Amino acid sequence: MYNNKLIGALVAGALLGSASALARVNDGAVVSNTCNGCHGTNGASVGAAPVIGGLPEAYLASTMASYKDGTRFATVMGRVARGYDQGQFLDMARFFAAQPWVSSNVKGDAKLVEKGKQLHAASGCAGCHGANGIAAVPTFPRIAGQAADYLYFQMQDYRDPKKAIPPAAMPMRGMLSPLSDDDVRALAAFYASAK
Amino acid sequence: MSTIRRRDFVKLAGAATALGAAGFPMLSLGAATARVVVVGGGFAGAIAAKYTKLYAPEAEVTLIEKDKEYISCPFSNEVLSGERDIKSLTFNYSALGKRGVKVVNDEVVELDPAKKTLKTRGGKTFQADFLVVAPGIAFQWGAIPGYDEAASEKMPHAWKAGPQTLLLKKQIAAMKDGDVAIIAAPANPFRCPPGPYERAAQIAHYLKHHGKAKSKVLILDAKDKFSKQGLFMAGWKHNYGDMIEWKSGAEGGKVEAVDPKTMTVTTEFEEYKAAVVNVIPPQKVGPIAEKAGLTDAKGWCPIESASFESKKAKGVYVIGDACVAGAMPKSAYAANTQAKVAAANIAAAILGTKLPKPAYTNTCYSLIAPDYGISVAGVYTIGAEGTIVEVQGAGGVSAADLSIEGRKREAVYGISWYKNITRDTFG
Repeated sequence: MYNNKLIGALVAGALLGSASALARVNDGAVVSNTCNGCHGTNGASVGAAPVIGGLPEAYLASTMASYKDGTRFATVMGRVARGYDQGQFLDMARFFAAQPWVSSNVKGDAKLVEKGKQLHAASGCAGCHGANGIAAVPTFPRIAGQAADYLYFQMQDYRDPKKAIPPAAMPMRGMLSPLSDDDVRALAAFYASAK
Repeated sequence: MSTIRRRDFVKLAGAATALGAAGFPMLSLGAATARVVVVGGGFAGAIAAKYTKLYAPEAEVTLIEKDKEYISCPFSNEVLSGERDIKSLTFNYSALGKRGVKVVNDEVVELDPAKKTLKTRGGKTFQADFLVVAPGIAFQWGAIPGYDEAASEKMPHAWKAGPQTLLLKKQIAAMKDGDVAIIAAPANPFRCPPGPYERAAQIAHYLKHHGKAKSKVLILDAKDKFSKQGLFMAGWKHNYGDMIEWKSGAEGGKVEAVDPKTMTVTTEFEEYKAAVVNVIPPQKVGPIAEKAGLTDAKGWCPIESASFESKKAKGVYVIGDACVAGAMPKSAYAANTQAKVAAANIAAAILGTKLPKPAYTNTCYSLIAPDYGISVAGVYTIGAEGTIVEVQGAGGVSAADLSIEGRKREAVYGISWYKNITRDTFG
């Protein structure tokens, strides 16, 4: 004969298990987890590739779409993005937006960071990206704690008229074009170390 | 558990599936006690253990791996050039242990795929409900006459990283200016298709920067073409001039015999003597997969494309270099995404939820020089014939006209790839 308490626990466990599994084991999670080899588990990159866990959902989806249609220059992401459809982009965007942001935790050279801080104050970056690289509205991606190399490469592309950038990022071209290569390095170092 | 009668289980299952779950295969065992055993702790096995635990924390996940530490093949070519030391390639399983994976340091010597039972060299036995087999590759000793395990002590393969890598490095360091290093590259399929060609570059990098610029690296190949070929050849030229020469199979590159005593390599038309001979021998599956009867006529493990479940045994999943995964190469990244597909399928079966749609990719960087990287990417799906095929229009190699600054950027992202994939696997 059976034990009612045990069955109760089992039913609860099974229901709970199924409910959380529905949240975990689904097509969106499975397609998103293919990104982790380059972007880190849950999108928390520990290298030069950008942290994507915790970025705004709309920004992630539109970024993937612009890689796919070639309106954003990439070394590898264009080749990857062309393998997916809009629905999968939305799944990935939802998955990674739901992850906690984990800063890349790189300590930049103190002098370079200080120079970057001054440029940040002088260049008006805060207008969109917030006082410390964290925007007040999710239209703009968080850049505080982002990978320094990625920020540097990205800003180089924004400055380079030969590189494709999405229309939404066009203001970046104008803002960054007066800056030197060293200035861009300094800005990247500042934002990477910002919290 | 045993006090519950079968018809009560059916009721329970009904309650659980009311949430939209597809079935209840593991409910009769109870989700809390589902036993998943993973054999092999490389880029495939470690990920399978970690992600099964992430997807189904209720499962009991055991990883059986014979070595306490894992030395990665990816980036081991950089040890040859001196750009990296072997310590930076060495990982352990303590983080997986902290994630709740039971790590057993032992070697599986018997595996019954029907009963899902295992025995280890240390005399332990295991019973699994789901079995993941990730044994990687072994070498076909003797396939090249003269090349057996003893020969590899004079002509290292260095195709499993560790002492062999250090032996090859030592031999390269002892080369005199003008000496030749031969790399014998195998026919397909083999682990890490771009590996021999990246290795040629890393050896040339060492020679060029250590007063041996008159030396050469000669690749004797069984094949007529190879991975990222155009990019490699342009990159070799750009970085090392004429230091690297490639002889295709059609040009008589196929190595037919070696003699380690005289350091001689024989091909169809010629005999070569060289200071260093790196033989990358033909490969086969790790022996446990063959012994367990999980292989096909060609010697590799056939799998269901959607789940990586073995075509030879239900509830047994074969991932990584050992399996036949259609268009996917035998690479660490392919293994990583295959393992996640298997883990998601196992978790879904344990929890009685809908089986997920598979998703698999490959991204693989090769460093031709510290500031010169190239890459290949692939996104895969199940084709009309049920095999894994590349999504048309996606993937491929780095742009041929990428600037030097772009190649540098790919080198930076290549190193980043390594940090993240090893953290994803062992962290």
